[in-house]
Amino acid sequence: MTLSFILNGEDVSARVRSVDRLSDLLREHFGLLGLQSDCRGGRCGRCLIMLGGRLVPSCILPAFRIRGMEVVTIEGFSQTDEYQDIVAGFKSAGVETCGFCDSAKILATATLLERRTRPTNAEILEQLSVAPCRCTDPETLVHGVQAAAERRARRLYHRAR
Amino acid sequence: MLVSEIHYPQDILELLELMKTLPEALIYAGGTEILREQGGRGIVLPPEVICIHELSELRKASLSERYLDVGAAVTLAEVLELAGSALPSLFGDTVRGIGTPALRNLATLGGNLAARDRFMDTWPALSCLDALVEIKDSWGSTWINVNRLSDEAGRPAFPSGGVITRIRIPLERVDVSAVRKVGGRDYPGPETAVFALAARADKGILASFRLAFAGRTALRLQEIESHITGRSLPLSERERRSFGEEYRAAAADLPENLASQFAVLVDGALDLLAR
Repeated sequence: MTLSFILNGEDVSARVRSVDRLSDLLREHFGLLGLQSDCRGGRCGRCLIMLGGRLVPSCILPAFRIRGMEVVTIEGFSQTDEYQDIVAGFKSAGVETCGFCDSAKILATATLLERRTRPTNAEILEQLSVAPCRCTDPETLVHGVQAAAERRARRLYHRAR
Repeated sequence: MLVSEIHYPQDILELLELMKTLPEALIYAGGTEILREQGGRGIVLPPEVICIHELSELRKASLSERYLDVGAAVTLAEVLELAGSALPSLFGDTVRGIGTPALRNLATLGGNLAARDRFMDTWPALSCLDALVEIKDSWGSTWINVNRLSDEAGRPAFPSGGVITRIRIPLERVDVSAVRKVGGRDYPGPETAVFALAARADKGILASFRLAFAGRTALRLQEIESHITGRSLPLSERERRSFGEEYRAAAADLPENLASQFAVLVDGALDLLAR
C-alpha cells in the first residue's frame, strides 16, 4: 500500500507493507538515522519520535498506523527554536547526555514543555523515564529541563511582545 | 513473511460490517500489547487487520458528575489528561503504573481490556470501581459490567463478534484504595498479576469493599465481599482472620508464588480495616 503522511513538515509518501515497523521505514526509506530500532519492544527509547505532537516509540508502531499523521524526528526537531532552548538549557545545567540517549531526552523534554511550561521535578523524572539511560544523574537532568523551560519561556515572552 | 491486508473503516457501521465478513480479522488500535513481544525485524499479524484508531466515535470522552465515559480508542495518556483530579485515585494510579509516558501515548483503554489470553492492568481497578463497557456488534449495543469480561473459571471471556466501544467509569467516593503489581519484573509474564482494592466507610460502617486480583485468571469474590460489607469498623481480630482464610482458600488454585503474594496483600487490606 502507498502511505502518505507529513514527515518533518513535508508531505511524503512511501510504499509500505503490514510487516514494516515505522522505525525501519524512517531509517531505511527516508535515511533518518538519528533514531535506532534496537529493542523492538518500546523499552530503550532510542526510536522515539513525535507523532501528532506526542512522544511515541516508533519501533512498536507499524508503518500503516500513521496514515495521514504528522511525524517529527530528531532531525526535523533540530531545526526548531525549541531544540536550541533545550540544548542550551542542558548545557548550562551541565547535562552531558551520551549518544545513546540524547535524542530521546531532547524529544521527551520538548513534548513535556509543550504541555507543562513549569513541570515539577516528579513530572520531569517521569517523562525522562522514556530514556532509561544512566549517563546523567537525575538531579542534573531536572536542572537541565528547568533551564530549558526558562529559556523557552523567555523566548516565547519576547516573541509575544 | 505474511503480508496482511489493512482495512480502515470510516465509522462503526463499516467496522461492524467488516467484522462480520472477516471474523478472524485483528482489531488494531494502539497495538502495544500485540507488538511489545515481537522482537523480530518484521511484524507478524493475521492476514486481515482492521485499523480503528481513526474512528472518531471511539476517540470521544466525556466527564459528568457521576461518570467518566471514555471511547475505546482513547489512549491511556489522554485518559489521565482528560479526567485529571476527577479520576478515582485507584484508576489513576493504575494507569500511571502502565509502561512509560511514551507507551501510554499509544496504548488505548479498550486495548488494555480486550487482551484475549490474560487480564491486563486496568481490569482489577475497573472491576473494583464497577465500571461498565459498551459492546457493539451487528445486533446493536449492550452495556455490561466489566466483570463479565471474565467467565466462571476466571478466564478472559470476550463477547465474540463484538467490539468494545466505550468504557464508563463511575466517579464514586472511595476512602481506601490500593493497586499493586505482583510476580516479578517481567510483567505481564505468565506468573504476574495486579491486585486492586477499593473500600468506602460511612459512619463507622464498611459501606463497600471490593477486591480484585487478575493475571492469567481473575478473582473477584463477591460472596466474601458481601460478608465483609456492612461490618462495623474496625474489624475484629476474629473477623480479620476469618475473611483472610476465606480469601486464601479461594486463591488455592493460583500458582504458588501468586497465591502467597495475594495472601500478603489481602492480609494488608484487612489489617487496614482492623485498625
